[in-house]
Amino acid sequence: MTLDLETTWDVLVIGAGMGGGTLGRALAEAGQKVLFVEKGSAGLRSERNGLSEVFVPEARAARGLWPDPLHVSLDGIDSSFYAPLGSGPGGSSVFYAATLERPERHDLDDLPGQPHPTGGWPVGYDQMAPWYDAAARLFHLHGTPDPLSPETPLPLRTPPPAHPAEAALTDSLRAAGLHPYRTHTGIANVDGCETCLGKKCPRACKMDGRSAGVEPALASGNAKLLTGAEVTRLITQGDRIAYAEVRIGSQTHHVRARRYVLAAGALHSPRLLLASTSENYPQGLANRSGLVGRNLMLHVDERFALWPKRGTPDTGATKGISFRDFYHREDMRLGSVQAMGIRASYGEMVHFLKRMLALRGLSRFDLLTRPAAAIGQTLLGHAHLFVVLMEDFPYAQNRVLYDPARPDRLAVSYALTDELRARRRAFRKALRKGLRGHRHLFLSMTPELNWGHPCGTLRFGHDPDTSVTRADGRAHDVANLWVADASFMPTSMGVNPSLTIAAHALRVADLMLKDST
Amino acid sequence: MRQITPQDGFAVVTGAGSGLGRALAQQLCAAGFTVVGTGRRAEALTETAALCPPGKFDPVQMDVADFDAVAQGFATMIDRHGPLALLINNAAVYPKRDILDETPDSFWQGIAINLGGVYACTYAALQDMAPRGTGRILNVASYADIAPLPASAAYSVSKGAARILTRALVADLADRFPDIVISDWLPGALATDMGIPDGLAPQDAARWGVKLALMRDPSLTGTVFERDTELLPPRGLKGKIKDAVLMRRQTPRRL
Repeated sequence: MTLDLETTWDVLVIGAGMGGGTLGRALAEAGQKVLFVEKGSAGLRSERNGLSEVFVPEARAARGLWPDPLHVSLDGIDSSFYAPLGSGPGGSSVFYAATLERPERHDLDDLPGQPHPTGGWPVGYDQMAPWYDAAARLFHLHGTPDPLSPETPLPLRTPPPAHPAEAALTDSLRAAGLHPYRTHTGIANVDGCETCLGKKCPRACKMDGRSAGVEPALASGNAKLLTGAEVTRLITQGDRIAYAEVRIGSQTHHVRARRYVLAAGALHSPRLLLASTSENYPQGLANRSGLVGRNLMLHVDERFALWPKRGTPDTGATKGISFRDFYHREDMRLGSVQAMGIRASYGEMVHFLKRMLALRGLSRFDLLTRPAAAIGQTLLGHAHLFVVLMEDFPYAQNRVLYDPARPDRLAVSYALTDELRARRRAFRKALRKGLRGHRHLFLSMTPELNWGHPCGTLRFGHDPDTSVTRADGRAHDVANLWVADASFMPTSMGVNPSLTIAAHALRVADLMLKDST
Repeated sequence: MRQITPQDGFAVVTGAGSGLGRALAQQLCAAGFTVVGTGRRAEALTETAALCPPGKFDPVQMDVADFDAVAQGFATMIDRHGPLALLINNAAVYPKRDILDETPDSFWQGIAINLGGVYACTYAALQDMAPRGTGRILNVASYADIAPLPASAAYSVSKGAARILTRALVADLADRFPDIVISDWLPGALATDMGIPDGLAPQDAARWGVKLALMRDPSLTGTVFERDTELLPPRGLKGKIKDAVLMRRQTPRRL
């Protein structure tokens, strides 16, 4: 690979996940010479593992998981655990459930009656719409349009037929006055499809940052992938990055490119900028606003069990149902509701309960989780698990931490606000009312933060004082640096971030091609 | 339950020059498989070949403790026969020596064959199986580690460690490659050179071994079968009560 390191690339993409993979593909297919620098190992394409709690860093790395725990200071209580983060081609997206949902107009725009928390994204809904369409095609999205949406539907392929339990559940939700639709899912359903939701797919079937990004990029002949390579610093000359310091094993290399795209994920990208201090950039690269790493947002997950009507055939878990009836209620930004595709199993229950105790510093009661879960499983029986994704708002004090003495330590500080708790209460209340007639049970007692959905830590905007990158994804104060992961999002929206990451990456790639300065 | 067929690829049986290995190879050939049989003695392998349908048995002279020979041997046979569907790690030695006569060298030689050989062959097989994400590895195991007999140090230690190796392989591979099915089989005391005179005839034991080796349901990974019956992991009192309450007491599978 020495050859790769000596070339001057058109674009060096840091992180080969959802954003980097998608952007790199667009650039490589347009003829640009692209080098993906990926910290994780390449692994074998046949691997099918999901997330794991194994604590041996080497074993985590071999599975494409982020090797180290995430240290969280939550309302001042410290805990550490393994966040659902990937490390390897495709990043975290190889483990996702391929739920690729487009946000609502009010998620991006400041609308009458629906004021936007930041005054609106610098790129409005109508400007983004064609990029959502392009991403939907690229990721082979299937599903049915949201019946409540006044917008032009995404280009969606016909989903596979609903199985009897899914169909029955859809009917009874509809009878209750709700508006379920088939979840927008990026699965190509090739021969032998095993619907690898939550785990690595061994075929080019589940569409993720690897199968729809990195691999087609490599197939174009214009891209190379360097794995097991960690960018430790970006070295500048004037207002440009001159080279990236790349650590491979115990060696450090200097890799040069005309342009650099940061796509290491919202928890890692800001850390690299904070590590890249210099005389010109004493606060860290691209950090004149002081916002690098700040405004960290996560979704608040609310899991609940929903029992199908009596007499419904038991045909397995459902993943295919979503509804947006509570997306925006009583002047509040709430979010979407989705089937999780898992049953209320014993293992799931133990995991939820453990996480809940750990987050409150109550791990000493771990022993109780097993009997509690056994009882829970018996009680829950054939229930389907659903999750509510509630929007999280940006607060500067919620942020990624960087300690130069411990550069590898992944740490964040986060505080739950009263505003968030109030919205969560409203969401639960609305849901309880809306599900009347359905047996259901809420499974989270406190706000459960979704550590797989971090965003906002390098937000884009027009004003260099209140944002890190411009509307076109380029850093305000570094001439050849772009950001193409979930860091760019000024608000977290009420849907999963993946489709938005892909749409943004495609738009940034297009603007990079049009503006060659 | 899903079965391995000759269309899935060829089979390797180590230690196919005598005893159980010969019977396993013979019966796999009879089931239509191309079988590569390895062993240290060429004449013994020729004798096995004579017992198999013509063209089905490919003898490869190889010492499993010679790690370079194993790597080369597997690479060559995969070249020749295509995908490797099944590996039966059967080769073993049982040197009976009083501990005062068991030198560090002789001890280590036993470990190199019974433990190192299993690892070397498994590692070589995985080079073909892991990229395809499918395969079957059956390790012929023994109880020798539970209460070591006198004059059996190298055998007891190596066979015990080999069972730990199976569990270690499962820890590393099962979640990533659920269709690579790895398990242990205890054939019991056999009437072979290595066994006891009034043991079970190797041909009879091999019928179970072949049946088990050709089963590739992922739920078999990590299981131990003794002769024709699954040995369930021991459950403590608490576990037994919980199983009874949750009505999920397991019954062992039978071949």
